[in-house]
Amino acid sequence: MIGFDLKNLDTKAFMIFLVIMAFFTVFLFYPMAYVFESAFVVQGKFTLVFFELLFTDRFLTEALRNSLIIGVTTTASTAAFSLPLAFLCVRYGFPGKSWLQGLLLVPLVMPPFVGAIGLKQVFARYGSLNLLLIDLHLMNPANPVDWFGGGFWGIITIEVLNLFPIMYLSIAAALANVDPSLEEAAESLGAKGATLFRKITFPLTFPGFFAGAIIVFIWAFTDLGTPLIFDFSKTIPAQIFSMTQDIETNPMGYVLTIVTLLVSVLALLSVKRYVGLRSYEMMGRGQHVGKRETDLKGWKAAAASTFLILIVLLALIPQISVILTSLAGQWFQTILPTQYTTQYFETLVTHPVAGPSIVNSLFYSGLSTIIDISLGFIIAYMLARRRFPGRDILDSVAMMPFAIPGVVIAFGYLAAFSRTPLNAFINPVPLLVISYAVRRLPYTLRAAYAGFQQTSVYLEEAAMNLGASPIRTMRAITLPLIMANVVAGGVLAFSGAMMEVSDSLILAPQDQYFPMTKAIYALNLRLTDGAYVASALGVVGIIVVATCFFIANRLLGRSMGELFRAGG
Amino acid sequence: MLVRVSLDHVTKTFGSVKALQDVSVGIDEGELFLMVGPSGCGKTTALRIIAGFYKPDTGSVGFDDKEVNDLPPYKRNTGMVFQNYALWPHMNVYENVAFGLKMRKVAPSDRVNRIKRVLDIVRMREFAERFPNQLSGGQQQRIALARALVIEPSVLLLDEPLSNLDAKLRVEMRSEIRRIQKELRITTIYVTHDQTEALAIADRIAVMNVGSVSQVGTPRDVYEYPMNAFVASFMGEPNMLGGRIDSISKESGLARVRIDESLVLEGRLPREFSTYSNGDKVSCFIRQESILGNEQSEQNFQAKVTEASYQGQTEHYTLELSNGSVLRAVGFNPSAGPHVVGDTMTIQLPAEKIMVLKE
Repeated sequence: MIGFDLKNLDTKAFMIFLVIMAFFTVFLFYPMAYVFESAFVVQGKFTLVFFELLFTDRFLTEALRNSLIIGVTTTASTAAFSLPLAFLCVRYGFPGKSWLQGLLLVPLVMPPFVGAIGLKQVFARYGSLNLLLIDLHLMNPANPVDWFGGGFWGIITIEVLNLFPIMYLSIAAALANVDPSLEEAAESLGAKGATLFRKITFPLTFPGFFAGAIIVFIWAFTDLGTPLIFDFSKTIPAQIFSMTQDIETNPMGYVLTIVTLLVSVLALLSVKRYVGLRSYEMMGRGQHVGKRETDLKGWKAAAASTFLILIVLLALIPQISVILTSLAGQWFQTILPTQYTTQYFETLVTHPVAGPSIVNSLFYSGLSTIIDISLGFIIAYMLARRRFPGRDILDSVAMMPFAIPGVVIAFGYLAAFSRTPLNAFINPVPLLVISYAVRRLPYTLRAAYAGFQQTSVYLEEAAMNLGASPIRTMRAITLPLIMANVVAGGVLAFSGAMMEVSDSLILAPQDQYFPMTKAIYALNLRLTDGAYVASALGVVGIIVVATCFFIANRLLGRSMGELFRAGG
Repeated sequence: MLVRVSLDHVTKTFGSVKALQDVSVGIDEGELFLMVGPSGCGKTTALRIIAGFYKPDTGSVGFDDKEVNDLPPYKRNTGMVFQNYALWPHMNVYENVAFGLKMRKVAPSDRVNRIKRVLDIVRMREFAERFPNQLSGGQQQRIALARALVIEPSVLLLDEPLSNLDAKLRVEMRSEIRRIQKELRITTIYVTHDQTEALAIADRIAVMNVGSVSQVGTPRDVYEYPMNAFVASFMGEPNMLGGRIDSISKESGLARVRIDESLVLEGRLPREFSTYSNGDKVSCFIRQESILGNEQSEQNFQAKVTEASYQGQTEHYTLELSNGSVLRAVGFNPSAGPHVVGDTMTIQLPAEKIMVLKE
């Protein structure tokens, strides 16, 4: 490490560093500190009394247990799903593979809770599945099965269906990255088949595997929308949400927020430590002698395609049912809708909440994306090109939002800024925009940083040598070379903001400021046509986000998957 | 527009690493000046200080009589060729070469002519529309050179420009660079770790070692009259026998060096030998090519051939003297051979061919 002395201090870089740190201090450290203070300090004294309360309250301990089970079960199930899937897709060729692989990513275009609305149509007590079974005389119409297990298993199902692509992408990338010569070496020493996989291939994918697992775990553990749709309040995020009602008087919301934060951070740190100890990337890769991809033939190819089609169909049930719901004129006590209509999409335009919510979301997400792109670009530039004291601090601080769940940031903002001009109860727009921006900053930062790293400094020096000022160099050389990365990161940040759930639900109390996700939630509560209009709005969201992904994919090519793996 | 470049007592430290320590060199107008040394000797740092990418901690950089310490790189009018060429992948050959002219706001018509001319000079006219990734290493290297030359720089800077090329192309390109440099008469500073490259093309060479300049001189100077042991051993692969000075003859500049009980060699001291005195630890350097084929001399030894390697143009031997000292020797065929392992021969070693040097 190069030491710093005052004489050589890069003053400009250091000033920018201080400004950026000021931003994080106000919008990351201060809210967290506020939450900690409210949970641990009573009348100026440190206390653990609220935590004792938490662990003696049977309702809350059950909620904590539920949330942990949801997180762990979801992670384990997605892993069980994804491992054979990734192995199949990376190592074998079969008909329809590229199409089906693309379809596997579709669940990512929708937050789990929107899928939950669709899923309820299919799996509810008198949903499509049970009605089909009743029709086939396989079920007693008087006593249909509750597939959701009171909502709990419904939550896990939807989380698994929605989040497994993240796991799949991580494992597939890790598998594709395994140096073929390492496997060949093992083969030459006599390992093959299952032994080869168990002893060599699988351990080599651990870093990617755990990086994916931690994202899935934190997401499922902290998901707020899905439990709300299933009306299952015995989870930590749902409790936090309900405690925002009495945020001024009830300390337990702060306590639960801290528990959520601690579990997430601890999980992330332990995985990071584990993966860090096993970072294999430093070891040189042998010459890449062709891919280890075998083309399957005959019945094996058919079996592989069928397996993938089944998984895709399963994964798309929530999306398909949301689309069906949005188009259903009549869908009550029947397997499929009996009439189709576009009236709910027409309703969106005139509806006092739905229509404006689309505009709101586009506006908030657009603003937050502008912040993300500028901030991400500047920080990436600083990290990649400048030397200044505090560089490592900036690096870890800017990536922190990966570890801090949305529900934690949202609760922190709501509480910490309640007595400031940023009070969300008066006008939530600034806090919504900033919370989106902070949450999605890692996307643009990572993308831009990768761009800087792929662009040799010499390319910039060559321009300066030929007479281009630093600004000119940035415009003529650096920006064009990393533009695709920056825009792709921005597009992902934008779609992420459009799908943001916890912040939107917690930080936007008034109708006229509702972003789409909150509008979907609120509309779904309406008895008459709620689910239909909510689904129509969900479909609009799917279209926007899918378009974003398409653009990002075009710009970044295959590397888009990397941004979802992330993890730091 | 010929420019003289000078480094005056330049020091540069990175953290605790002293990259340059009190370096002073002057590069004359129109000169092809080579900086050579092992990796980490500071040659690239010196070049980047001249380009303006680093600022010296102390000392000054001068272009003619003007100090340019605080002049940013983009105002120095130097043309630099980078080790990895640094061609911009999003611009084609023409755009790459045009960039420097655009920055200088050269009129478009003039621009076209100058680009054509420079592409002719590097013999790449027909590649103007290509993108860098469609060019071979040697072609990229020519474009990098053209891009630096087209701005008619005051100083041309070359940072290991040939290190990414294969051996044959390297030899071809180095004479190409010298041809162009002489044609355009640009003051040129060229950094390399390859001493044969330096000897082959330089007007003058600066041999550098751990942050300072060991010797500056013509190729013949630094090879035949090295000022210290480092320069002697870095330029070429001479034989080295350690010993102590027995006696010095001030008039002839010769010294007798005791290698061991049975072997005393007479050799020549460097031009400046006032710091040499009896009893000093020194090394005797004998070039591999200066052992065979000498005239009769008073200093001769019996040597046994312990290894012989026929390499077509040349013949390589490992020889053992009666005291056990080992010498490697090279000679051109057919006069050098053939000798086989086990042969004994008499080798003549006139004092003139033995360089007596201190560290």
